Amino acid sequence: MSPKPTVAFFEFTSCEGCQLTVVDSLQDHPELLDAIDIVQFREAMSEKSDSYQIAFIEGSCTRPSDEAKIRAIREKAAIVVALGACAHLGGINAIRNRSDMQEVREYVYGDKANWFPTYEPRPISAIIKVDAVLPGCPIDRNELVKAVTHLLQGRMPQIPDQPMCIECKLKENVCVYTQGKVCLGPITLAGCDAICPTYGDGCEGCRGTISNPNFQSLREVMLEHGVSEEEIESRLTMFMTNQILAMAKAQ
Amino acid sequence: MSFRIMPKAAVPDWITWLRSRYRVVGPRQLKDQFVFDEINSPDELSLDYPTSILPPKKYLLPPTEELFQFTTKGMHTKASLEPRPTVIMGVHTCDMHAIQLLDRVHNTGYADQHYQARRQNTYLVSIECLNPCTEHSFCKDMGTLSVPENFDLHLTDLGDEYGVDIGSEKGEELLRGFASVWDPTEEDYRHVNQVMAEKWPRFSYRFNFDVTELPDLLALSTKSSYWNELGDLCLGCGMCTKVCPTCYCFNVKDEVDLSLTEGHRVRIWDSCQVDEFALVAGGHNFRSTRALRQRHRFFRKGKYQLEAYGLIGCVGCGRCAAACLVHITPVKTFNELYRRHKQGEAVEAQS
Repeated sequence: MSPKPTVAFFEFTSCEGCQLTVVDSLQDHPELLDAIDIVQFREAMSEKSDSYQIAFIEGSCTRPSDEAKIRAIREKAAIVVALGACAHLGGINAIRNRSDMQEVREYVYGDKANWFPTYEPRPISAIIKVDAVLPGCPIDRNELVKAVTHLLQGRMPQIPDQPMCIECKLKENVCVYTQGKVCLGPITLAGCDAICPTYGDGCEGCRGTISNPNFQSLREVMLEHGVSEEEIESRLTMFMTNQILAMAKAQ
Repeated sequence: MSFRIMPKAAVPDWITWLRSRYRVVGPRQLKDQFVFDEINSPDELSLDYPTSILPPKKYLLPPTEELFQFTTKGMHTKASLEPRPTVIMGVHTCDMHAIQLLDRVHNTGYADQHYQARRQNTYLVSIECLNPCTEHSFCKDMGTLSVPENFDLHLTDLGDEYGVDIGSEKGEELLRGFASVWDPTEEDYRHVNQVMAEKWPRFSYRFNFDVTELPDLLALSTKSSYWNELGDLCLGCGMCTKVCPTCYCFNVKDEVDLSLTEGHRVRIWDSCQVDEFALVAGGHNFRSTRALRQRHRFFRKGKYQLEAYGLIGCVGCGRCAAACLVHITPVKTFNELYRRHKQGEAVEAQS
């Protein structure tokens, strides 16, 4: 048996909920600790080593000064995994990208706005090459265990490029659109076991989209179900702001 | 084989009696819809259900099915082939036609062991449809409004009783020793004939052409611009294939535990409507657009399966039409292709 791979966890702008989910997964799957050697994890332990093979990064990059730290991780780690929606997409932090940055800073920091050189929140992949992604807000614990298993086998974790509706139908959930709710399931990447519709709520798209989402058709579905244009925009920019802005720019 | 009568009042006792011998599954209410699920007490069973979210196919071809277990040390494998004897209650005639197709598919060429094992341990109790189940069904067009001869028992609602056709030895087994069934009287036969005669006018034809023309219609529509229109509309969500009683495509995955010493191989339902379905090594996708994928789906239902297995691939259950958020339906699609084909012929005749 080869020595256990060394693993480190890092966070940038985020709620740290994905790292909490990792801690939670360790309770469900204590055998994870037999499989990997965690050498740095600020949220869970005080020991700290700067020598690691696999880095899990939570959070989005929201200020120029984050970039050097992210690049330093890339230089040390053989494999970098983006952990959760913020690292993967920019997350809900990116909602502010719909507004003027100076206005945002003034809204948050008042007359100290210029003390904080924040910029548009962006995914980790905007700064460095990311080898794999664990999507979601928060991440799915089963997917984490599967990803670690893949890494142990020398394979890159892969998220099937399928929409959430597939998982939802397999669970025989009654479609939430028939219950008067809005759902982004048709364009959102599956893998969460359709957790929100299973508990009666519409999908908010935290896992990002499948590779060829049909936004136009989904907008029309929402309009048909009486959702206002304003509400549609707000739904689509909860987790997908950067993608929606990039699409608008491309047009 | 033979025909018996069972009073409806005896059904709860029959279900309880069956449950002591088999796993019993059947239609059960879930919110305002119905699902096939294990029946734990007779009052959970709703034999007069309209339709179900997933077809009863899921008991023959589970959405996730373990094929075998393995260990990496010594490379031992152990097949997972011990299905529980299961009675599926209340299968509609469209779904019986679908099972007929699945049986043929899984018994052609290399017979599918896992399917066969489940099928042999499955007892099919179908039920005559006396009224259209939903606004989406088109069973009369597809010729699936009568039950094919693959049932073990077939029920017909006669008001206070069920007429029970016994179709096989397995069907007889489900009644053997159960006292509350009796031979029909002349009056019972008259009643059955009346019920059967009265049901047909309640169902309407929805195709603007005869279904025997469907394979040719599709062949002539390969280059129709309608596929691109469907491709623009389609969300690519794949729900149409998940709810389809005749879809059987699957993917195979190996899953190992964290110690990398034990694992299992599973197959899971796949869908031709998702991007990665036709992605092959080297990155080429031979059905790269939603238009091509929708065309493939309709060709498969209306043409390919008929050519490969002698049975048409759509049974008119209407589940895909009900599930589709953008209202892509077989009836609308086939009628529109027919309209365009006729229009094309008319233009040709004028020129």
